[in-house]
This record gives sequence, C-alpha cells and structure tokens, in this order.
Amino acid sequence: MGSNASIMLQQEDLQNICQQTGFTTKQVQRLYSRFKALDKRDCGFLIREDLLCIPEVNINPLGERLIDVIMEDYGENNKINFKQFIFLLAKFRGGKAKSLTTEFNTRESKLKFLFDMYDRNHDMKIDRRELLDVLKMMVGGNIHDDQIATIADHTIGELDDDGDKSITFEEFCNTLERIDADDKMSMKFLS
Amino acid sequence: MMITTAQVFTIISIICAPMVGIAALVLTLAALNLSLGIRRLYVQLLALIFDYATKIKRDKEISIDSNASSDEPPTPLPPSTAKNKLAPTLEKKNEDNPAEKTNSSIHSFDRRSQDPLFNSALLLLYNSSLRDIIDCTRQGLEAIVDDDVTKRFTSAEEMVVWNLLTRTQQQHEYFSMRVTLLWFLGFCVRYFILFPFRLFLFILGVLWMLGSAVFLQYFPAKDAKLRFGFYINIVLHRILSRVFSAIITIHNTEHRAKCGSICVANHTSPIDVIILSTDNSFSMIGQQQGGFFGMVQRTLSQTANHIWFERSEAKDRHMVAEKMREHIQAHNNLPILIFPEGTCINNTSVMMFKKGCFEITEATIYPVAIKYDNRFGDAFWNSSKHELFQYLILMMTSWAIVVDVYYLPPMTIEEGETSVDFARRVKAAIAKQGGFVDLEWDGGLKRALPKADYKAEEQRKFYEMLKTE
Repeated sequence: MGSNASIMLQQEDLQNICQQTGFTTKQVQRLYSRFKALDKRDCGFLIREDLLCIPEVNINPLGERLIDVIMEDYGENNKINFKQFIFLLAKFRGGKAKSLTTEFNTRESKLKFLFDMYDRNHDMKIDRRELLDVLKMMVGGNIHDDQIATIADHTIGELDDDGDKSITFEEFCNTLERIDADDKMSMKFLS
Repeated sequence: MMITTAQVFTIISIICAPMVGIAALVLTLAALNLSLGIRRLYVQLLALIFDYATKIKRDKEISIDSNASSDEPPTPLPPSTAKNKLAPTLEKKNEDNPAEKTNSSIHSFDRRSQDPLFNSALLLLYNSSLRDIIDCTRQGLEAIVDDDVTKRFTSAEEMVVWNLLTRTQQQHEYFSMRVTLLWFLGFCVRYFILFPFRLFLFILGVLWMLGSAVFLQYFPAKDAKLRFGFYINIVLHRILSRVFSAIITIHNTEHRAKCGSICVANHTSPIDVIILSTDNSFSMIGQQQGGFFGMVQRTLSQTANHIWFERSEAKDRHMVAEKMREHIQAHNNLPILIFPEGTCINNTSVMMFKKGCFEITEATIYPVAIKYDNRFGDAFWNSSKHELFQYLILMMTSWAIVVDVYYLPPMTIEEGETSVDFARRVKAAIAKQGGFVDLEWDGGLKRALPKADYKAEEQRKFYEMLKTE
C-alpha cells in the first residue's frame, strides 16, 4: 500500500466535507467505506470499470451513460477521487427543508444532472441526435431506428418553444416541473 | 557454564511432557466428543472484555460528537426503492428473441396526425418514458451508493462491539490508552500464546490423518474399513476444529444427513467442511488435483468413497450427474456434500444456487444452514483479498470461531417442479433458518460481469411500455 492509497479520512477533511455538503459525519464515513469497497485496487480513485462491475449498474440500460457523466463531468482523466465522489452525491440529498439545502443540492443542480445525461457535447441544448441516443439506450435492439427517430422528432416538436429544433435547459425544466423530477432525483442517505 | 547432555535431555522432556499430555487430552476429548467447556468460558470472558472496550470507545465518541455542530437527524428509514427496482428476472423471460417479433402497433407512430388527442397521448408517452429515464438514472446512482451484491463479497460491515482485532476496524483511531493497551495485550495473546498452540494441534491433526491412512491400509475387509473410516474422519475434524477454537452448536440433529443422500449448505469459508464434518462424514466431490492436494485426495479416498473427476470430465455436466447418481444409489455411500453457491459469500445472504445437483431427481436433499457469529472472528474468506494460506493464518490468530449449524428437514423435488424452482425452494428454507437475505444474484458476480441478457431484459420492459401506450 503506497502513500497515496487507503487515504484515511482525516478529521479536518471530514469536518470540511460535512460543512460544505451538508452530510452528517456518519453519512460521510459510510460513503467513504463504500468508496473504499468499490476501490478494489486500493489506489484512492475509481475508474469506469470499478463502477461498471456493480451488477445493478451493469444491467441498467443507462448505466454506461451514467458512468460517462460521472467520469467526464465530475472526475478527471477517467478517474474520480473521494472528494469528487462525495460532492457529486451531495447533489442528490433531499433538500425540501430550507435547513437542509446547501449550494449543492438545489433543485437546479438535480435537473442539470439529468440534462447532462442527454447533453454530452455541453452546448446547453439537447438536439435530435442526443435525444435519439438516450432513447436507443433505453430500448436496446427492440425498435427500429426510424421508429425511434419519429418519436424523437415528435417530442422535440412538442417541447421546443423557440423553434430551434432542440431543447434548451429552460424548456427541459418546464417539462420536468410537471412530473416533480427533482423529488424523484433525491436519494436518502443512510447514516 | 557448560550444558551437559543430561541437562539438555531434561529440558527437552520438561517441554515435551506437557505437550504430550495436551495431545493425549485433545485426542481423548475428540474421540469421545466431550468438551471441557474451556472454550465456552473463554468466549464469555472475551465478550465481557469487548463490551468494556466498546464502552470506552463510545464514551470518547460522544464527547467528540457533542463538540461538533448539530447535524441532520439520522434517517431511520431505509433508502427508497422504486417499485420496479432492477432485479434479475431472467428465468421468467420468454426464450424467443423479442427483437425478432414483428409488431404491428408501432406503425401508429407513423401517422403524421394533427389530432390533438394523439399529440397529448404522445406527450403522455414522453412524460412516462421520461419518468423511466429519471428512475433509471436514480436507480443507477442508488446502486453506486449501495447495492445488494458487492457488499456480499467483502467482510460484513463494522460491528457495533469492537472485538480488539485491527482487521475489523475501518480506521484505527487512537481512542484511549486503555483500549490500545487491551488491543496490544490481545495481540500478544493471540500471536504468541494461541497461535503456537493451535499450530501444534494442526500438526497433530495432520499426523492423525496420515497415521490413520497407514493404519487403514491393513484392513482387508471393505466394510470394516468404511466403518472405521467414518469414525476416524470425525475425530480428525474434531481435532481440526480445535485448531480454530471453533465452538460449534448443532441444532436438530434428528435431521442429520443419511447415507445415499445429498447435503447442501451455504458457503462462507473453507472451514465449513471441517465444521460440518465434526458431526457427520461426507463424500467430497471435486476435481482431481495434482501435487500435494492430489495426494491428500488419494489419502482420503482410502477411508471413504469420494467422487473425484478428471479435468476433462468436469466440463461435462451429464457425466458428473451420472457419477453422483451412481454414488447415491449405492446405499452405504456417505452423503455428498455440495455448496451450490459455488463461491464464498460473507454469511449475510444466500445467493443463487446452481441447479446442477438439484437435477438429480432421485436424491433426497438435506439442507444445512451455517451461521457464523462474527464477534470473535470473521470466518469469511475474501479470495480476492487473501490467499488461502494467509486466510488460514488469520483464522488461527482470531479469538475463536463461533458457529451455529442448523440441520433442516429433508426435501425432495416435487411433481412438476423444475430443478431451478427446487433449488430456489431449498435456498429459501436455508435463508429463513439462518436469517440470511435471500438473493437471486449469482455468486459468480464476484469475478464476472452480469450476462448481457439481463440488460436486454430491462430494455425489453421499456419497449413493452412504449408499445402499450
């Protein structure tokens, strides 16, 4: 075990993280154990394969896309360390009560994460191609490409308010309001 | 000062005498299946010490916590799981490839209709598919935070009461002088007193095994050989169980596996075999190895009929099943011991039972649930973390292995039941008795990724939803 590996969670780091993310110390410790359990090579960061070998993520149709988002947007060089990991997860803390909200788990940030699941070129718009990609991942080989394309076109037709043939973040949020998306994206963290 | 030969001999005999005495004592106890009750007292004493140490630790923790700012109250509820949580439902899947099914209902999307009803239906469809996409995303994140499977392949989570072994602590923080002193004392006791003693017993066990093999060579009559072999085997395993300071409590001995049957148990560690063999003798089944292990296998074959098959035969499931069937049908053959999970699981759950041995319809299955008490030593073998040898050393330097063995009533396959369903039924019975979580996931996931079929199944479900809307 090198000096980099099995980084113990120092007290100051712990306090820092708790303050910024709003997690309790026990929650952070539990997430740290989880991080270490996933980090099988014991090198202090996770790579794609570490996350991909969780069976429930592996069989999830959006599993790979989810890992893409995590690695590219929240990690660097295809690696994610514990700090990045926990700041990512901090977004999904339930935050209805005022006291529980920090700058991380706002409604905006949850919806933005969902938006990022589609918008991989980060141009703040979901175009036809990106919508198609996600739909294809969900149905796999079960529908022909032109049939999905039709669904995608109709969807854009419906949601596009400003006629630019793509969905902006604002238009996206408007749809999601109807189905209470930020509530659905909140997770309960055990302590 | 010169040490004379006489003095050397005196010294050696002084050291040897107690050793010989202990050896004789252990052998007698093992043979007669008696116990002096020392191990149980020892374990009770340990429990008191652990409680004391944990109390100190908790007091320290409370003082630290009260200094920190008040946090969110701990959520007592388990993480919310959506009703359609991803789980393998592959066995129920239709064998036909759904992609090849021609579906006529999809053409409804080709309608370039301006019908407002159609548009709102589409919006509804989009909303519900969006809901699914959101659910999938959240389930993926939840699985990253905690999933049912990966935690079965590592030692169970940190215990409430710390048992003074650094290996069970996530982070060794310096709590107090007293606890560290206790730990150090424990370390010395375990490595310098208990370990040599246990090693000695282990050597004794090996000698017994070799001696008995030689002894049995001279028995011409096969029947007598088998009867003696049975008894010798049990004594051997009783000696070996003392090597790990195993405290075994057997429940429901009336359901002990009989000759000509199959005994099935959950698997946590290689020690399972030793523990079960203290009460009953079994036929092993496995691949014929070379080298030292191969010699052990041949030695064991002297005392009983085991099923060893060649590497080439191992791939052929029918051949294996045939051999098992033959073995069972000979009435005085020992019960076959099988661990259908195929790999070691950490004793909190029971994973998918491979259907191989359940396909033998004539066999009576005697299920056994093995439940370890983690407080005195974690018996789980994490083969990706420790080699077998390292694991055995860890076991020999733990406090003790406390285990409850529950024999369950025999089961046979029912009319019209498939072997998969039968396997599931037996698994459920074992899970219920041992208080384990009953999981459908394959133990093979320890090393391999799930089959692509499972993902295809999830995608098919989404497609079905799209179709019906």
